[in-house]
Amino acid sequence: MKKSKPAVGRSRWDEFRYAPIPGHWDEALLPSGFPRRHWRGLAVALGRMGIRQFSRSWNLGQQLIQANGVTYNVGGDPAGKERPWPMDPIPFVIPNEEWSGIERAVKQRAELLNLMLGDLYSEQRLVRERRLPAALVYANPHFQRSCYGLTLGSSSPLQTYAVDLARSPDGRWWALGDRTQAPSGIGYALENRLVSARILPNVFNQCRVRALTRFFDAKRNALLAMAPTRRDSPRVVLLTPGPHNETYFEHSFLAGHWGFPLVEGADLTVRDSRVYLKTLSGLEPVDVILRRMDDAFCDPLELRGDSLLGVPGLMQSVRNGSVAVDNAIGSGVLETPGLMAFLPGLCRDLLGEELLLPSVATWWCGQPEPMRYVLAHMDELVIKPAFRKYGLHPEFPARMSKAAKAELVRRMQSQPELYVAQELVNMSTVPVRTDQGLAARHAGLRVFAACDGGDYTVLPGGLTRVAGEMSPVVSMQLGAGSKDTWVFEEESESPELPRPTINVRAGRSSLPSRVADNLFWLGRYAERVDSGVRLVRSLLPALSGEEDFGRAASLETVVRLLAGLRYLPENVPDLPLGQQRFHLQKLLSELVYNPTRMSGIGWNLKQMRRSAWNLKERLSADTWRVLQQLESDLSRPAPGNPDQRLTAQITLLDGVIVTLAAFGGLVMENMTRGHGFRFLDIGRRLERALQMADLLRAGIVEAPTGNDSALQLLLHVADSSITYRSRHLTMLRSDLVLDLLLCDETNPRSLGMQLSTLREHVDGLPEHAEAGRHSLEQRLALKALTSVRLAEVDVLTRRDKEGKLSPLSDLLAGLRTDLFDLSQALTAQYLSHLQTARLRSSD
Amino acid sequence: MVYRASHTTRHIYEESVAQSVNELRLTPRGFGQQSVREVHIEVTPEPALWRTRKDWFGNEVTTFSIFEPHDRFTVTASSVVEVLPANMGVLPTLRWEEARDILAEGIDDPALEASEFIYSSPFVATSPELAAYAKPSFAEGRPLVEALEDLSHRVYKEFRYAPKSTSIDMPLGEVLKNRKGVCQDFSHVMIGALRSLRLAARYVSGYLRSGAKYQGAEASHAWVAAFVPGAGWLHFDPTNDIIPSEGHVTLGWGRDYGDVTPVKGVTLGGGSQLVEVAVRVEPITS
Repeated sequence: MKKSKPAVGRSRWDEFRYAPIPGHWDEALLPSGFPRRHWRGLAVALGRMGIRQFSRSWNLGQQLIQANGVTYNVGGDPAGKERPWPMDPIPFVIPNEEWSGIERAVKQRAELLNLMLGDLYSEQRLVRERRLPAALVYANPHFQRSCYGLTLGSSSPLQTYAVDLARSPDGRWWALGDRTQAPSGIGYALENRLVSARILPNVFNQCRVRALTRFFDAKRNALLAMAPTRRDSPRVVLLTPGPHNETYFEHSFLAGHWGFPLVEGADLTVRDSRVYLKTLSGLEPVDVILRRMDDAFCDPLELRGDSLLGVPGLMQSVRNGSVAVDNAIGSGVLETPGLMAFLPGLCRDLLGEELLLPSVATWWCGQPEPMRYVLAHMDELVIKPAFRKYGLHPEFPARMSKAAKAELVRRMQSQPELYVAQELVNMSTVPVRTDQGLAARHAGLRVFAACDGGDYTVLPGGLTRVAGEMSPVVSMQLGAGSKDTWVFEEESESPELPRPTINVRAGRSSLPSRVADNLFWLGRYAERVDSGVRLVRSLLPALSGEEDFGRAASLETVVRLLAGLRYLPENVPDLPLGQQRFHLQKLLSELVYNPTRMSGIGWNLKQMRRSAWNLKERLSADTWRVLQQLESDLSRPAPGNPDQRLTAQITLLDGVIVTLAAFGGLVMENMTRGHGFRFLDIGRRLERALQMADLLRAGIVEAPTGNDSALQLLLHVADSSITYRSRHLTMLRSDLVLDLLLCDETNPRSLGMQLSTLREHVDGLPEHAEAGRHSLEQRLALKALTSVRLAEVDVLTRRDKEGKLSPLSDLLAGLRTDLFDLSQALTAQYLSHLQTARLRSSD
Repeated sequence: MVYRASHTTRHIYEESVAQSVNELRLTPRGFGQQSVREVHIEVTPEPALWRTRKDWFGNEVTTFSIFEPHDRFTVTASSVVEVLPANMGVLPTLRWEEARDILAEGIDDPALEASEFIYSSPFVATSPELAAYAKPSFAEGRPLVEALEDLSHRVYKEFRYAPKSTSIDMPLGEVLKNRKGVCQDFSHVMIGALRSLRLAARYVSGYLRSGAKYQGAEASHAWVAAFVPGAGWLHFDPTNDIIPSEGHVTLGWGRDYGDVTPVKGVTLGGGSQLVEVAVRVEPITS
């Protein structure tokens, strides 16, 4: 043969400059540099594209990842360590005949582990007959003693299983680790697929890549079928530790994909030994919990008491058989690599078969013989914790100093059962896109299996993870990347038909109360930021001395308004002008630049972001970007020069108003008009109504008589000057201003508008009152609205003998009370079960 | 000796508690040396979903919930228990290293079962410091029982009994450094020291007979049981430097305090709280 490149005319495969590293198995190329058989289609396709077109496609892929909001939280830090999901565009390719072997082996391993799990939490025959060292169970912190006896009723406690595989230089596959608690990755695998099918569409179709969706349908059906009592419409929930968890994106993605509510521990409650979801319409029974929470956190009463992430009483409900959990709580006991050394024997014992998938050579140090071997061969091995624990990582003696190694040996000798040693696998390499073309990186493959009836079904593909540099550790926590994984269909294979799915009744208002609560407060804080910005922006010109809108912003008027709004002490308007100016300057600067000042803009923004963070999966990526923009706008330091500060502030606030409008717009345009939207908008309206009531009191009731500038300022703060001028070509009159800001239900800033919207929202909430009767919150909303509708502005603006506006003052005070009561009533009716749990123990 | 024991725990909350789920380990455990004649547990407010089960260690657990809002919570457990004197017959003279090796190999079923108690547990983490603390009592070749008695005696002498000086959250290392604590701490230190030598030790929860001039009467008490191959579990009370016998009523045992907490619950709401515990253990003439 003359040619050593893919036989394609005009191939630009050379542009990719891919060169594997000698001594490793490369997944793409033979040692000769010629593509492996199953890689040829891909090499040809890439050759046709050339590196430039490929890079363009990849840009599209990255945009998709951004747009879908695919993220991975490194260390679960809320402050922004959340990174876009690192994906590499070139798929990991596995030919079908090889895949069938992997598939069979993974099924067998899942079956074996399932049997072991059943035994460990019931008879413990394996321990008593000494086929498994007792220490792997008794010294294992993941052996949950309170789960003892729980799995007896279930034939398949291991519903979801994942195994990490790697290929050695001789081409064989090895198992590196088993994941049996709440394996993560299938959501990311599906996302990777959506992206890779978009960036390499032609080759994807030509190669007939096996679809992933059937596995997801099967898993969904399996979850529904787990419901302990056969109800027509079982309720499944996905239990997440919350937005701070590193794989939270996946939790929300899967919940959305399957149509199951995503819940946190506080969304669930246990009554009469059943688990219920707290929703706006009351408590709804839960039949199946797909948990993405570690065993120890599931129930603070019986498991780890220092964590309140879980559901107190959950264990008792499981014991009662009223709820099923995937995976069975306690399944983490199987994750110890210490078990690996014993699997071949156990497989013969329990299944009567040879173990198909060898584990990487593993020595558990809890036995004297392996321990001696490990101490004699330290430098060839990686030392791992036998029992996974946060903060513990593999150690590589070959690269350690003498002292560090001695210290490791000392630790190993004092508690040998806590350590395992494994042979270092020279993992195979794959091509990874870099700015210089393709480079070789180590890769590992996570394969997923799900229990489907009596059998396990394996996801055709999986999550391929690649090391960041030529590093021997592949871990998403340590900054590795990922790839889509393609398994080719057999030529003869018939396309996979979608399977019938169990229907779930849709359309129930199962909005968790916690979500409603966060939306409500997001609305309130957003409005507080908005009104704060508008207020400061309207008042700033008073400091400049320019009178660019009449006398409205005269220092005195502004100071009086702020005193009326309780931002400034009552006595400030009586101070000499110089001192008034000083107070005003200090206040306005603080409101903008001091994030620790309660009721300041920065403080409210922080609260707004906190509420938003708890709603992460419900907010679009755009909304999230807007929030980030707001935060970076408002965290700029104040300019040192006071003159510059003023202009800077005005420019800044103008920008912030626009960004806030973008937030409001995104919410209006993108949120479905369900109860969620309703609660967000109730929060906004309630807050805006309260702000307006205060403004009217300070700007009309408490302002000196005949003060036009106060009215003008009022209109400006309420963003209604233009409307007023277009309607009334007259001088400013307090009755007309009041009409516009209080009664006019077409003015989006008026009290009347807020109240009529509030009333509509409240009427649309799920009914709790007896049929035909108004609920308390309905009555309050109606009362407030009616008092405004019945108001006569000319009566309200007529001053009595002492020059007071008592009827208006009473009306505004009454409205304030009603609005507070409404807020209380809504909380009591819909959000009240949101109390924090505490653990107590006593002798 | 036959006793009537009563144990009352009262919580008074700052704010109302909306609901709670609870777990009690207040039923005295029947075993060779102790038989339980009668147990009665009373809870206010009205408990719901009352259930009992055996936990992994064989202790009886009572679980229940309270759904009505309350600011007071009271549990009273009353029982009639007969306790026999500890059998202090001829004790095995094996050396402590032999016991350690028997446990390491799990040579027979009792040793295999006991081996569960040689490892760290949530409240008792083994450490080189604890091993060093144990060492003076465990000279090479010393008979196990003698070494155990010596260690119990040393904990009694070298630690100061200081009520309210510790909370259960204090790490064992701190207790070892400060050399003071209550019966839980005394027990955890001795258990940790034994486990750091890879000997099996468990935590026993129970009561002392009222009126005795011992620390820990009138409240719930704790002591240590150590595994002696050939003889089973021998009990030691390092808080009082005595071998528990007719004067100790056993509630149950586990790896440490966390496994046998007498009254435990998760509440919704409640704020801060006051806790009162009262224990009476009176002999009755039968």
